[in-house]
Amino acid sequence: MSRKLSLLLIGVLIFALPSMLFALSAEEIIHEMDRLSTFETTYSTGSIQTTDRFGTKTSLFRSWSQGEKDSLIEFTSKAERGQKILRTEGSLYLFYPDAEQLIRMQGAALRQSMLGSDISYEDMTEEKNTLDNYKAKLEGLETFKEKECHVLTLTAKTRSVAYPIQKIWVDTESFLVWKAEYSTAQGRLLKVMEVLETFKSGDRVLPKQSRIEDKMKKDSATLMTVDTFEANPKLDRSIFTLENLTW
Amino acid sequence: MIRNLPKLAFRNIFRNLRRSALSAVAIAVSAMSIVMLFGLLDGMETDMANNLQSYYTGQVRIRHADFEKYERYNPLHLGVDWNSIEPILTENSDVRAATPRINFPANMYLGEKTHGVMGIGVDFSKEEAFIDFPSVLQEGRLPEAGKNEALMGFALARDMGLTLGGKVTLLSTTATRGSNAITFQIVGLAGFPVAALNANTIWAPLDRVQTFLGMGDQTQEILILLEEGADEKQTAMQIGNEIERELGISTDTRSWKDLNKMYSMLRIAKVAYYFIAMFFFVLGSTVIINTTMMVIFERMREIGTLSALGMQGSELTRLFLLEGFFISVIGSAIGVAIGYIGTYYMGRIGLDFTEALSGIDMEVSSILYPETSVIKSLVIWAYAVVISTLSTFIPSRRASKIQPVEALRYV
Repeated sequence: MSRKLSLLLIGVLIFALPSMLFALSAEEIIHEMDRLSTFETTYSTGSIQTTDRFGTKTSLFRSWSQGEKDSLIEFTSKAERGQKILRTEGSLYLFYPDAEQLIRMQGAALRQSMLGSDISYEDMTEEKNTLDNYKAKLEGLETFKEKECHVLTLTAKTRSVAYPIQKIWVDTESFLVWKAEYSTAQGRLLKVMEVLETFKSGDRVLPKQSRIEDKMKKDSATLMTVDTFEANPKLDRSIFTLENLTW
Repeated sequence: MIRNLPKLAFRNIFRNLRRSALSAVAIAVSAMSIVMLFGLLDGMETDMANNLQSYYTGQVRIRHADFEKYERYNPLHLGVDWNSIEPILTENSDVRAATPRINFPANMYLGEKTHGVMGIGVDFSKEEAFIDFPSVLQEGRLPEAGKNEALMGFALARDMGLTLGGKVTLLSTTATRGSNAITFQIVGLAGFPVAALNANTIWAPLDRVQTFLGMGDQTQEILILLEEGADEKQTAMQIGNEIERELGISTDTRSWKDLNKMYSMLRIAKVAYYFIAMFFFVLGSTVIINTTMMVIFERMREIGTLSALGMQGSELTRLFLLEGFFISVIGSAIGVAIGYIGTYYMGRIGLDFTEALSGIDMEVSSILYPETSVIKSLVIWAYAVVISTLSTFIPSRRASKIQPVEALRYV
């Protein structure tokens, strides 16, 4: 081996070694992604704008979350005023002002469209414990919207999840999921999510506006926008209880 | 000789009474079956027409022009405004009654159990001409406007273990393409004639359903009953045009016959049954063909003698044709009479098809009442006579071809 070639190899090793040593595994990326999107508590307000064959409609909401498993959404727009969705410890409940009974959504019902949008109940209230349900595989790096992203494929460990396969584009710096493709186990594309705008909360980058397209519906798309966001506000823990749902 | 042919033929049918009786019975059974079949079909047609007009479409139905196009998406936002259309209907002299209705598919929640049902929002005070609710009410009372009360098909209540006073929560898609749920108290149980209505319907006050589904004053459809003798298609067109002229909106206004494929199919099926009836008679006539053939062989000596005495072949054919004709006339008359009486009796007591129709979504009542018709019975009688008589033509022709010499060999 010539001297020049040896020097070149040593040079490459010197430059590549740190990145090889400090390269994140798929699990570490997911862990960081979940950590940065989870707060002790949050309060936000926003809108869901759905466009389908019949036109465009907008629903307003406010939501609270606590840790990775509890969330509550209340709709404030006229058509759905007072309707609430509570997710706590793996169960999802719907509250409707005219119904005396809480409706518990389970299994396939979680995949039903929420308010006719492209977002399912599962999407809206999903728990931030990705690695409990999915096995992650790092596919490589890709530039998406001028951001360098890790491309990962998540394969479901259990049959209880809404999407058997997810392909996600995770920002290498902010760990924000810029794009996600949700598919069946056979690879049929079900849904596509793309972040259009972001905002900062402290040092974290969060989605401000996302576009979701249910590929099972024709000519349908939903824009979800977060108007206000408050990280770690003081919340009464009882708001995530069934008893509190009927207030 | 020729003048005496009918007399001779009539006398001949008594020469072997048992054989003639067998032929007559075969024709009678065919005629009886056809009379009963047609009685049942007529009863079914009348019943279906009544049910469709009362429970499903009225005689004329008004909907938003695009509703049917998007029906599978349950487009409740494509409604019609009852308050603005009602005055137009009131002014139309052909309109006897009109009522607004909202049909909506819903999931019924009972504890952890869910069940798919069909909700129907009605104004009970306007339904009198369409549905005789007091007569279908088995228990309890009718729901009151403005209250979250409902009337439930008795079979649905039984299957879900519900009784009067029980509560059910319905979840459905709204006119804003969102979702909503409402809890109704069961105040009445109904026994509708159509099994499907008993098994999966919940009837609630229109105003509560409008609020629940976010429809405002809109209704999904308006059903209309017409005065006696009014032309349904023409009136439907006239109403549709009137609404367009007065309100500037295009509607889907059609007569019930244009809306119900099942009813049209039943009418087509009835034509097909006339052909089936013909095969029935031909089948019944095989006995008379066989009998005539045997009679010809048995009476070979007689045929030979008659031929030798100068009787023409055509006269021999007519003789046997007349014998077949008399047997057909008697057999058909007996069959039609028994069929008519049987149909009349079944029409009084009704035929219970509850088991057979359970689980079948068809607008036919569980108990059917066959209908009798003197004119139809006479037509069937004549039809049976013609087919059976023509059937004897084949063996009768054989008699004309027998040579006297050959026949006299049997002497």
